Amino acid sequence: MEKTEILKVEHLKKTFRLSLRQRKNEGGVRVRTAVDDLSFSAYKGEIFGLLGPNGAGKTTTLRMLATLIKPDSGDAFIDGKSIVAQPYEVRGKIGFLTSELKLESFFSPNYIFDFFSELHGVPKDIREERKKSLFARFGIDKFADVKLGNLSTGMKQKTSIVISVVHAPEFIIFDEPTNGLDVITAKAVTDYLSELRGEGKTIILSTHIFSLAEKLCDRVGVIIDGRLAALDDVAALTAEKNLEDKFFELYSEVAGDRQ
Amino acid sequence: MSAILTIMKKEFARFFGDKRLILSILLPGLIIYAVYTAMGSITQSFTETPVQAVVCVRNMPQSLSQAVSSVFIIDEGEGDDEALKERIREGDLDLLVIFPEDFDEAIAENALPDVSIYYNSGDTASSSAYYAMTALLNSFEESISDVLTINRGEGQFDLADSGALAKDILSMIVPMVLIMLLFSGCIAVVLESIAGEKERGTFATMLVTPVKRTYIAAGKILSLSALAMLSGLSSFLGLIFSIPSLIGGLEGISFTMYGFTDYLLIFLVIIMTVLVLVALLSIVSAFAKSTKEANGLMAPVMILVLLCSVVSMFVPNTAIGIYFVPVLNSAMCISSIMSGALSVAAFLITIGVNLAFTLLLAVVLAFMFNSEKIIFNG
Repeated sequence: MEKTEILKVEHLKKTFRLSLRQRKNEGGVRVRTAVDDLSFSAYKGEIFGLLGPNGAGKTTTLRMLATLIKPDSGDAFIDGKSIVAQPYEVRGKIGFLTSELKLESFFSPNYIFDFFSELHGVPKDIREERKKSLFARFGIDKFADVKLGNLSTGMKQKTSIVISVVHAPEFIIFDEPTNGLDVITAKAVTDYLSELRGEGKTIILSTHIFSLAEKLCDRVGVIIDGRLAALDDVAALTAEKNLEDKFFELYSEVAGDRQ
Repeated sequence: MSAILTIMKKEFARFFGDKRLILSILLPGLIIYAVYTAMGSITQSFTETPVQAVVCVRNMPQSLSQAVSSVFIIDEGEGDDEALKERIREGDLDLLVIFPEDFDEAIAENALPDVSIYYNSGDTASSSAYYAMTALLNSFEESISDVLTINRGEGQFDLADSGALAKDILSMIVPMVLIMLLFSGCIAVVLESIAGEKERGTFATMLVTPVKRTYIAAGKILSLSALAMLSGLSSFLGLIFSIPSLIGGLEGISFTMYGFTDYLLIFLVIIMTVLVLVALLSIVSAFAKSTKEANGLMAPVMILVLLCSVVSMFVPNTAIGIYFVPVLNSAMCISSIMSGALSVAAFLITIGVNLAFTLLLAVVLAFMFNSEKIIFNG
C-alpha cells in the first residue's frame, strides 16, 4: 500500500535565549539550542512516536508543529500547510494535547466542549452527536455537568483528550498523554489512540515511556539533545533488543560523541 | 466573527456563574454606599447636636432680656463673679455677661456702655456661645443706630442660581470619582480574565484553535468592558444614593438638574473610557507573568489615570488640544457636560480619539497573543 506523507518536517531549529542566571550556570552561553536541524516525515494512518529523555526537545518540537511557537529556521508541513506561513490553516487541521494547555476548572466538560466546538466552527448538530459519542466513550457523560475542578485527575485528562478532538482532526499531536494517570485510565487513553489509528488518523505521540512506544507506535524517532538520533519502524529498532536497551545504546553513542 | 461572540459569552458565563466574582463586581458600590452614608450621618450628628449655651447675666437690661433668654439658658448665678468664672473654666458654665447697671439709660443718652463677656476659648461650647452673644449684641447695636441698614427688606438678595453652583461643584468632583471607580472596576475583571487565564494555562488552549488573535483580543476587550461598566455602574449608584446623606446640607444638588441628553453623553464617554482602560490594563496583564506581577504593574497605570482625573479639575475646558489625550479627555468631557459647557468638537474628538486608541491597543494585544514570549513567559 502506498503511504501518504501527511507531515513533513524540514530542518526545524529552535533556540531559546537564556536568562542571566542561566547564563552564569552554563558558563556564559547566551542561547540554548532546543531543537537542532530536525527533519522527519509521518504518514497517514500511523502512530509516530517521538521518544527521548526530559529536555530533549520533544515538547518544543510539538509546540512548533502546533503553531504555538515559531521555529528560528526550517519549516514543517501538515497536510501541505506550512506551520510558519499558514498557522491558522494548520490549527484547523490538528488536535493538540499537552499538559501545559489547561481547561478552565470553573466550567463543566459539557460547557467546554461546546465552547471549543464553537471556536472551531463545528455545526451544532454534529457537535451534539460527537459530544454524545465521545462522552460515552470516556465515561464523561455521568460527570458532564460537574465543574472540571471537582473531577479527578483521570477524568480531567479524559476531558482534555475529548476537547482536543472536538473538531475531529485528521492529525493529532499528543504530548505525554498518559503522564500521571493510573494504569486503567492510561489503558483507556492508549486504546483510544489505537482506535483513532483504525479510523485512518495520524497521531504524533511524544513519550519517555519506552514500553508504551514499543506497544503503540508504528515508527519512532529518537531525539537526544534536540537532534534526531534514530528514525525507523519500531519492528526494525527492536529487532535485536528492546526499545529501552536500544535507546541506551544510542544515548551512549551521542554522549560519547559529545565528550 | 462569531468567535468574538463565543468568547464574550464565555467571559460572561465565567463571571456570572461565580458568586465570588459577582460579589467583586457589586461590592464596590455597596461599600461606597455604606461608607459614605455612615460618613454623612456622622457629620450630621456633629452639626445637629443641639447646644444651648448656659449663660449668667448680671444687670440684664430690659431691652435685651427677651432676646437673650430666647437664645441662651439663663443661669441664676449664685455666688460671686469669681466663683462663676471658675465654673466657666471648669466648663460648667459657658458665659458670664456683665452689663453696666444703667445700660438702657446709657443707650438712650448715646453714651457708650461697656459690656464684659467672660468665656473660655479652650472650650468649644463656651467660645461658640461667645460668638453668638457678640453677634446678638452687634445686631442690637445695628438696630439702634440709624445710620444705614443692609438688606432689611423682603426679597431675594443673593442672585446666584443655586443650581449653577451645584453644577460647578459636581463638575469638579464627579469626573475624578467616576474615573477612579471605573478604573477599579476594570482592574477587578481584567486581572482575573487575562493574567489569571495566562497563569492557569487556559489561555494557550484557546490559541491552538483557528480563531484569529484579533478576534480573541476583541472578544476579551468587549466582554471585559461590559463587566467593568457593570462594576462602575454599581459604584456610581452607590455614590448617587449616598449623596443625599453625604452632602445633605448643600442645597440645590440633585441629579434631576441634568437632562436625558446630558446623561446619554456621559454614558457614551464612559463607554469609551472603559474600552480604553480595559484595553490598556489587558496589555499590562498580558505582559505580566502572573496575577501577582500584574497587580504590581497596575500601580503605575493607576497613578497615570489618577493624574489625568486630577488634572481635569484644573485645566480650562476650552483648550481643545487636551481632548486628544485619552482618559484625560474623558474626565474633561464629563466635567464639561456637568457644568453645561460642552462643545461639540470636544465631544467628537474625545469619542474619536478614545475609539482609535482602543483599536490600536487591541491590535497590540492581538500581536502580544501571537508572541510565544508573552504566552509562555519565555
